[in-house]
Amino acid sequence: MSPDLNSRDLIGRELTRVESELLGVYTSLRALAASPDLPPCAVAGVRASLAHMAVLVSSLGLAFEHLLDEGV
Amino acid sequence: MDSPYWNPRTETLPREDLRALQLAKLRTVSRWAAERSPHYRKAFADAGFSPDQLRTWDDLRRIPMLTRDAWMAGQAASPPYGELPVAGADRAIRLHTTSGTSGAEPLRALDSRKDWVWTSEMWCYGLWAQGVRPDDVGYVAFGYGSFIGFWGLHYALEKIGALTIPGGAQPTESRVRQIVDFGATVVASTPTYALRLAQEATALGIDLAASKVSKVVLSGEPAGSIPETKALIEKLWGAKAYDTAGMTEVSTIVMFECSKQPGGAHVIEDHLIEEVVDPETGEPVGYGEMGERVVTSFGRSMIPLLRYRTADLVVKVPHDRCTCGRGFDLYEGGILGRVDDMKLVRGTNVYPRAIEGIVRGFAEIVEFQIRITREGIRDEIALVVELAEGTPWDPIAERLGRELAASHEGLRFNVEQAPSGSLPRFELKARRLQDLRTAPIGAGSVS
Repeated sequence: MSPDLNSRDLIGRELTRVESELLGVYTSLRALAASPDLPPCAVAGVRASLAHMAVLVSSLGLAFEHLLDEGV
Repeated sequence: MDSPYWNPRTETLPREDLRALQLAKLRTVSRWAAERSPHYRKAFADAGFSPDQLRTWDDLRRIPMLTRDAWMAGQAASPPYGELPVAGADRAIRLHTTSGTSGAEPLRALDSRKDWVWTSEMWCYGLWAQGVRPDDVGYVAFGYGSFIGFWGLHYALEKIGALTIPGGAQPTESRVRQIVDFGATVVASTPTYALRLAQEATALGIDLAASKVSKVVLSGEPAGSIPETKALIEKLWGAKAYDTAGMTEVSTIVMFECSKQPGGAHVIEDHLIEEVVDPETGEPVGYGEMGERVVTSFGRSMIPLLRYRTADLVVKVPHDRCTCGRGFDLYEGGILGRVDDMKLVRGTNVYPRAIEGIVRGFAEIVEFQIRITREGIRDEIALVVELAEGTPWDPIAERLGRELAASHEGLRFNVEQAPSGSLPRFELKARRLQDLRTAPIGAGSVS
């Protein structure tokens, strides 16, 4: 399930400001991971960061999806 | 923000909301499996199941169950990883296996970057609930091989921010000395190895109870929830012992004992669905009834795990059995045994866990083994024990025999003494039951 920044969490609750910010970081990293212009050090760093953020937003129930196609 | 919960948002969710969260994740994982895993594509088609059918909680039961046999058959048919993975090994960053202690072909499991982060996240739920914090010093008494074991715990300690000491590839004596010298406050090991470390410390003249260790985190064997074993570990270490349980098939722990120690372990229900079913019929059993664990995991992307029959025996009880405030249900007494653990000896059911519970009441017993043999048409069961040096044998033998018979409907155990150091020692999963009844004469099949 892809995150919807303007919406609610996985069980329909409104997001707090902090939760929206966390989801924003996740979405940004997700977009960055798809960028073709990153050097190897950035690819690795973005993917590692995205893995942690993906688990975080799943733990908080904000978003949940698998990311193998993003290298994560 | 200090909190008794690693994840207050979901650990304290009302049950109804928790179910809604699980159902949302279940739909995603089911679609993922249906679209990408050769095994699930076929299994779902054979069962007439489509992820679109997951409308209510009860629809969970439409998903066909997965067995270890099916997993291993797929691994044999499509080596080396089988038909469950959704992608090739080039998408993974780790490969782990089961311990191989049963002598069977080890199961191979692949993890992606996110899968592996999730593995440590599950351990964080448990460690945090047990009071592990960034100022702790964690010692991992584990061999760091291909068996997944405490790898996830290692990374969880780092994630929490604790100083993490990998105690791999060295003798027990060196580990004991490092635990004391490095000022470890948390030690992780199997229950068997926690006892082995304590025995070694005694032999070295080191009083572990006087060390800085305040928590021993146990996993890998059901013994972590046997009250007598746990009490012995706590006495020898002068520390609290906390049980956890997991499996390679999930990659990490699925349950943890919290600091309230209510006599059971909480299931990490925001990341897993744990059902309990009748092992014979596969039908669900209610709270308080013993049955087989069936696990669905939301963690692994490489290997989706939907309704996996674990063969672990458990009794689920409601979350409010514990006063910690978590909304996660518990398994009373942790994992109580294996579906195939029970042995029938002269008409009496024998469970290794029950025997260990009695043995651990004898602090003088250093190691033990259960041997079942067939003499003609008569089954015999022997408990072979090693005693601490200088311990008189006769009183121990008499009391052991009496307590074993009393707890097994009068079944007579042959209680035998083994020479010091002759019984096997274990660092990973202990295998103390030898059922020699079906083996050819002279062969020692370990069950």
